[in-house]
Amino acid sequence: MKLAGNSGTNLVEVQDVRYSRSDRMLFNGLSLDIPRGKVTAVMGPSGTGKTTLLHLITGQLLPDEGVVLFDGRVVCPCSRRRLYETRRQIGVLFQNGALLTNLNVFENVAFPLREHTRLPEQLIRQIVLMKLHSVGLRAAWLKMPSQLSGGMARRVALARALVMDPKLIVYDEPFAGLDPISTGVIVRLIRQTNDALGITSIVVTHDVAETEMLADLIYLISGGKVVASGTPGELQNDNSPIVNQFMRGLADGPVPFHYPGPGYSAQLRAMSRA
Amino acid sequence: MITALRDCWFSFSQFAATFGGFQMFSFRLLPYLPRAVLRPRLITEQIYSVGALSLVLIMFGGLFVGMVLALQSYNTLVEFGQTDSLGAFASEALVRELGPVVATLLFAGRAGSAVASEVGLMRATDQIAAMELMAVDPIQRVVVPRFIAGVISVPLLAAIFSTMGVLGAYLVGVHLLGVDAGAFWSQIQDRVDVYEDIGSGIFKSFVFGVSASLMGVFEGYYAPPTAAGVSRAATRTVVITSVWILLLDFVLTSFTLPGT
Repeated sequence: MKLAGNSGTNLVEVQDVRYSRSDRMLFNGLSLDIPRGKVTAVMGPSGTGKTTLLHLITGQLLPDEGVVLFDGRVVCPCSRRRLYETRRQIGVLFQNGALLTNLNVFENVAFPLREHTRLPEQLIRQIVLMKLHSVGLRAAWLKMPSQLSGGMARRVALARALVMDPKLIVYDEPFAGLDPISTGVIVRLIRQTNDALGITSIVVTHDVAETEMLADLIYLISGGKVVASGTPGELQNDNSPIVNQFMRGLADGPVPFHYPGPGYSAQLRAMSRA
Repeated sequence: MITALRDCWFSFSQFAATFGGFQMFSFRLLPYLPRAVLRPRLITEQIYSVGALSLVLIMFGGLFVGMVLALQSYNTLVEFGQTDSLGAFASEALVRELGPVVATLLFAGRAGSAVASEVGLMRATDQIAAMELMAVDPIQRVVVPRFIAGVISVPLLAAIFSTMGVLGAYLVGVHLLGVDAGAFWSQIQDRVDVYEDIGSGIFKSFVFGVSASLMGVFEGYYAPPTAAGVSRAATRTVVITSVWILLLDFVLTSFTLPGT
C-alpha cells in the first residue's frame, strides 16, 4: 500500500504511532521523519522504546495505531513477501553484531548475497572483500566470530549490512561497550559509509558525545513522544528541562532517578506486614 | 485447595498452549518442505551433524544391546531346546522394536538436544532475528534442513543399530554360547519377513524420526532467549521425545503387529 507522504525528502516517516506492551504505553502518538541521505540519531533515556522504534521501522512489530512508511510504502501490515522486499533495502547493525557463529567472517558477509542472488562465486568474492576492506577487516576474512573483539564483530556486521547496498542502515546502540578507539572507528565508519554511498542512517543511542560528532539530526524521545528535535547544536542550546537533563547527563530532572513506586516507608510497612 | 486447582488449571492451559503451538508449527513447516529439496547442501550438512556424528553411539549401542539380548534370550531358549532360534529371536526384536525405539532415544539424547540448543542459542544471540532482518526466512534456512536431516537420519541409524545388534547377538550366540552359525543365519532368513518385520521397523523409525526431529527444532525455535531457557529446551526435547516415542511405539505396534 502506498500512502501520501513526503517520501521525496524523507525515506522513513513515522506517523502518529501508538504502541503499547504489557499494559504499558510506549508510544503515544509518536511522529518523526528520517530525511534521505542524513545520519539521524534517536536518543532518549533507557526504557523509552528506542529499540522498539527500530523494530517498528523494520516491521518486526506492528503499531497499534498509526503507520510507518518506508520509501512511501507502509512497512507493516503487509504480506511476508512484501515485508522481505522492504527489508532487503534495510541493513541492520545489532548491538552485539549478531554474526552467524558457525560461519567465518567472509561467509557471514557473503550470507545475504548467497541467499538473495545467483551471482557467480568470483563476483561474490570481490564484493565481500571490497566490503571487508571498507571496514578495515579484509585480512580477517578467515576468522570465526568467536575470534573477534566486540568492535571487530560490529565492523563485520556493518560490512554484512552494507553488502546488499541498502537504502537505509539502522544502528542499534553501535557504541555500547566499546573502547574509545573502537568507538572512534565506528563513528568514522558510520559517517563515511553514509556519505560515500549516499545512504540514510538511523542511529539509536544514548551516547551524547559521539552523537554530537556524528548526527545531522537528533530526535529525543521520552514519555512516548518526541520531546525535542534538531541539529546537535540546537539541542545543546535547548534549555528545556528534559533536553538539559539528557544532554548534560544530570541525575535530577524530569526523568526520575527512582523507578516509580510507593514511598520508602510505605514499602517497608507493607513488607513488614507480609 | 483453590491454589492447587488454580495451579492445575494453569499447568493444563500451559500444556494445551504448547501442544497447540506444536501443531501449528508442524503445519507451518509443510509448505517449506518441497523448496528445501532445492538446496540439498544445507540438508547434507545437517545429516552429517545429526546423523553421521551419532554413528559411533548408535553402533556401540546396537552392538551391546544385541549382545545382552543374546545372553538373556539364550537362557530361556535353552530350556525349550530352541537355541537355534536365537538369531531369529534377536533379529525380530531388534528390527521391529529395539532398533527403531532405542536408536531414536539415543538420537534424541545426542542430536535432538544438540539441535534444540543450537537453534535456541541462535535465537538468544539474535542470529534468528538477524536472518529475518536480512529477509532470510529462518524456518527455511535453519529449521527445515535440520528437520529433514533428522527424518532421513533416524531410519538409517535405526537400520545400523539393528544390524549391529544382530552382529552382537551373533558374536555372543555363536562364538560364546556355541549356537550353530548356519542355524543362526538360516533361522533369520526363514523368520524375518522383509515387509512385515523390516518394513514395519522402517515405518516406525520414520515416524519416530519425524517426531524426534520436530520436537528438537520446535523446542529450540521457541526457547526463551536466556541460558536457562536454552538449557530447558534441550532437556525438554529429550524428556518429551522419550515419553512420546515410547507411547507412539505402543500405538504403532498395536497396528502393525500381525494378528492384532
